Amino acid sequence: MKDYEVIIGLETHIQLNTETKIFCSCKADSWEAEPNTNICPVCSGLPGVLPVLNAEAVHKGAILAAAMHAQINTKSYFDRKNYFYPDLPKGYQISQFDQPIGRGGYLDLPLENGETRRVRIHNLHLEEDAGKTKTERGVRLLDFNRCGVPLVEMVTEPDLRSGDEAAQYLIRLRQLLRWIGVSEADMERGHLRCDANVSIRERGTTVLNTKTEIKNVNSIDSVRQAIGEEAKRQIELVESGGKVESYTLDWDADRGKLTKMRSKETEADYRYFREPDLLPVVLSTEEIDAVIARLPELPLARRARFEQEYQLSAYDAEILTSERSLSDYYEAAVAAYAGEAKTAANWMMNDLSRLLNDLGKTADQLVLKPENLAEIISMVDKGKINAATGKSLLKKVEETGKSPSEIVDDEGLGLIADSDALRKQIEGILAGASAEVASFRAGKESLLGWFVGQVMRSSGGKADPKRTREILLELLNKE
Amino acid sequence: MSLTQLSAFEVAHKVRTGEVKAAEFAQAALEQIRAVDGVSGSLNPGELDPIEESKVHAFIQVTQDKAIEQAEKVDQKIANGDEPGLLAGVPLSVKDIFCVEGTRTTAASKIIANFVPPYTATAVQRLVDAGAIVLGKVNLDEFTFGSSNESSAFQPSTSNPWNTEYVPGGSSGGSAASVAAQEVALSLGTDTGGSIRQPAAFCGVVGLKPSYGRVSRLGLIAFASSLDCPGPLSRNVRDSALMLQVMAGNDPKDSTSSTLPVDDYLGALEQDVKGLRIGLSPDYEAVYYPDLESGELHSEPIQKGVREAVLRAAETLAKAGAEIVENVPMPNTRYGIPAYFVISRVEAASNLHRFDGVKYGYRTPEAVEDLNELYRRSRAEGFGLEPKLRILMGMYVSAAEHASSYYQKALKVRSMIRSDFEHAFDPQGAYRLDALLTSTTATTAFKRKAVYGNSVLMQYSDQMTVASNHAGVPALTMPGGLDENGLPIGIQLIGNDFREEMILRIGNAYEQLTADDAWRKVRPQVLQGEVRA
Repeated sequence: MKDYEVIIGLETHIQLNTETKIFCSCKADSWEAEPNTNICPVCSGLPGVLPVLNAEAVHKGAILAAAMHAQINTKSYFDRKNYFYPDLPKGYQISQFDQPIGRGGYLDLPLENGETRRVRIHNLHLEEDAGKTKTERGVRLLDFNRCGVPLVEMVTEPDLRSGDEAAQYLIRLRQLLRWIGVSEADMERGHLRCDANVSIRERGTTVLNTKTEIKNVNSIDSVRQAIGEEAKRQIELVESGGKVESYTLDWDADRGKLTKMRSKETEADYRYFREPDLLPVVLSTEEIDAVIARLPELPLARRARFEQEYQLSAYDAEILTSERSLSDYYEAAVAAYAGEAKTAANWMMNDLSRLLNDLGKTADQLVLKPENLAEIISMVDKGKINAATGKSLLKKVEETGKSPSEIVDDEGLGLIADSDALRKQIEGILAGASAEVASFRAGKESLLGWFVGQVMRSSGGKADPKRTREILLELLNKE
Repeated sequence: MSLTQLSAFEVAHKVRTGEVKAAEFAQAALEQIRAVDGVSGSLNPGELDPIEESKVHAFIQVTQDKAIEQAEKVDQKIANGDEPGLLAGVPLSVKDIFCVEGTRTTAASKIIANFVPPYTATAVQRLVDAGAIVLGKVNLDEFTFGSSNESSAFQPSTSNPWNTEYVPGGSSGGSAASVAAQEVALSLGTDTGGSIRQPAAFCGVVGLKPSYGRVSRLGLIAFASSLDCPGPLSRNVRDSALMLQVMAGNDPKDSTSSTLPVDDYLGALEQDVKGLRIGLSPDYEAVYYPDLESGELHSEPIQKGVREAVLRAAETLAKAGAEIVENVPMPNTRYGIPAYFVISRVEAASNLHRFDGVKYGYRTPEAVEDLNELYRRSRAEGFGLEPKLRILMGMYVSAAEHASSYYQKALKVRSMIRSDFEHAFDPQGAYRLDALLTSTTATTAFKRKAVYGNSVLMQYSDQMTVASNHAGVPALTMPGGLDENGLPIGIQLIGNDFREEMILRIGNAYEQLTADDAWRKVRPQVLQGEVRA
């Protein structure tokens, strides 16, 4: 068998998390709303109505373009994409065609082998979403709630080489979208949708062969699996003397199977023309510069900085930059904490992550502030509390909103470092354990651990272990 | 003088001063409609009584109860000492292409014959808010596609009040006829290629196509969105100024509506024409049309009487102190119709996509195999001939393989037409015009069925009007005389961008200067026999 490589391009649709729809004042988010309850004459395409462009959608589109390193156009246009489908109430989709808001750009994917794959973007354009149609008991039902939800369509060049890479692309894109705050990027809710174009060629050649398009690969696993399946099918076909034809395929995630939807011998003609109901979208260079200037540090840059600045491992840096709020939290905690950045990282990776998981919160939603975390770690460092108490404090601060020191004082959680009190307590224990004291003194020194355990138990874990040993040895060796 | 003869300006004055109640004007209008209009247009008119041939048939629907209710509201306001608005008590008809909440809005098409919009067009709302009384919805060519009113799915279509054997023009034929027949003082029409001005000219009334974007398009069922302009029809220039004053101004819900401040149109009427530069162009003296076989451009001079009316008007204005600038070149005027054919149909085909039998409007009652058959049958049965022709052509010229040779080229022609006007109006240019004076149409009204069915010929009757739609500039038509058959002649003043006040001022001056002309005393046929006070 020849050595083949798989050539993949992805077409993604990203739902922007604007307050309202792109051309009317209906709410953009209809999740769990009854069908056709979040619609108006504009988004349901009644005669005589006109679209009014939502400036927030343009702004978020520009932010995304900037984050993708795309060129943001000072003048872009909306066009009509004409076709008939029942979920498209106007019979045309308002989209962008030859003069979209963003052109070019790329997203870098760190690969497992340490290399980086640069995935180039062809263009980004703004458009309105269509509604949904489904068939129930032989009846076709329509829900227009989603009509007019703002989308960015972003198409990559054929730069991906495996299902895994395609999955990585979606993971990185999802991270970026949430990072810059333009989309919730929840694939299950359709905030991030994906079609994949797949072709194969002999490794070492540069031709682009006939591709197939896989629709509805709407989860990370689906992308990985569907592309894998399709690449396998194409290789087997070509190896057995067949020829890949231009198909549209549908991915059935439940059965893990591809089915042919239609052959694409003739390209659909959407008869694009400028949308006469809208003015050109004009962004001044000042506005564009401001968008770029206000862009936050992006995930990969921050990851690299964490490795360098805080001496974190690549793994730790990756985890701590998985979400922007987590990485912001980490930096704030490090700033408030006098000790090693690595120590703070360990707390974040283990205990704080567990807390976030249990509560289903993101770091910015916590009551427990980075300063609180820093204070808790410092108290452990200084022996004011033990590590177990420190860990339990995370939850207590989160639940009560009190500061860690306040809780330690209120609940008497501080370690008993006061020698007199501790000495009295130890004397009491020794007095009630004369047999063990005798054995120790007779040379069974391994009993020291048992004595420490007794002290810890009676103090409820608050005895300072170091001091306890010192006093015990002093008293036991007194004879 | 009967109440229905009064101008909108006079009506509003009498209502405001309490001399006559708005309700009385509403009743008078309803009586006039009963007297001259005959049966309203409907999808199934059945056998008509011969007497209907002498009726106007302007209305598709008379909204009597609403009209009376609106009039009572105005009267109540006056009784309360509240501001009743500039159009207090003025009877108004609305072309049935504007959405009015709770009122059936048909576009004169079977495909949305029973559509009741849940909102009101901005233009209509502003008129009603200013105290106008809506008497009902008036007939038009189906979806405004036509120049004779005959393509309406609601028959009988409107007749010309001057001679009911003739067409009223179109597509705002019902609007023009209802004003000419004194059923209303004002009508709201739309003009995409001449659809206000041509019927206004044919029916001997005043019509104004404002600058593109001066009046909101919201609630207007779109024909060609980049060309559509709502505008007034009235019996004199002052009334159109008054109506525009109420309607004009930015609408945040129409992105293409202008944010420029609205001029004082009524105030502008006080000025005369001394020193104004008014142009005449040889390019408006003939109609140019391509040979259907060879594609060669032929030309035919405009009707003699029409040309004479334009020259007469120029002389009148010159005597009043205007400077007449002859031989203004408008060389791209002759390409206006072919470019319009392409641009308007591309937009129209797209705008008509939404009528698919799925959500509202007509759906085939036949059992269908699949979705495509539902679309095909619903649209085949629901649309009349004109929409079908326009959809076919619009789809053809915007197809990917043809767009560059038709649609993109038409857009270039459009910008060339625009540059003709820019040169003519350029204050530093050779011509420095304040207005261009032309005829509104090449001929006076034609007989019913004389042209209908010949889509190309019908369209070429718009050559004098369509250029200003391409350019977006305002244009006013007003009566300029009568032809040898006693049919009205329309003359047109075209102004620079957003200079409605200038063409209204010249039009008003012309009207005053010719107030005593003999032709102004002649009345439309359907009003003859009416006693003049």
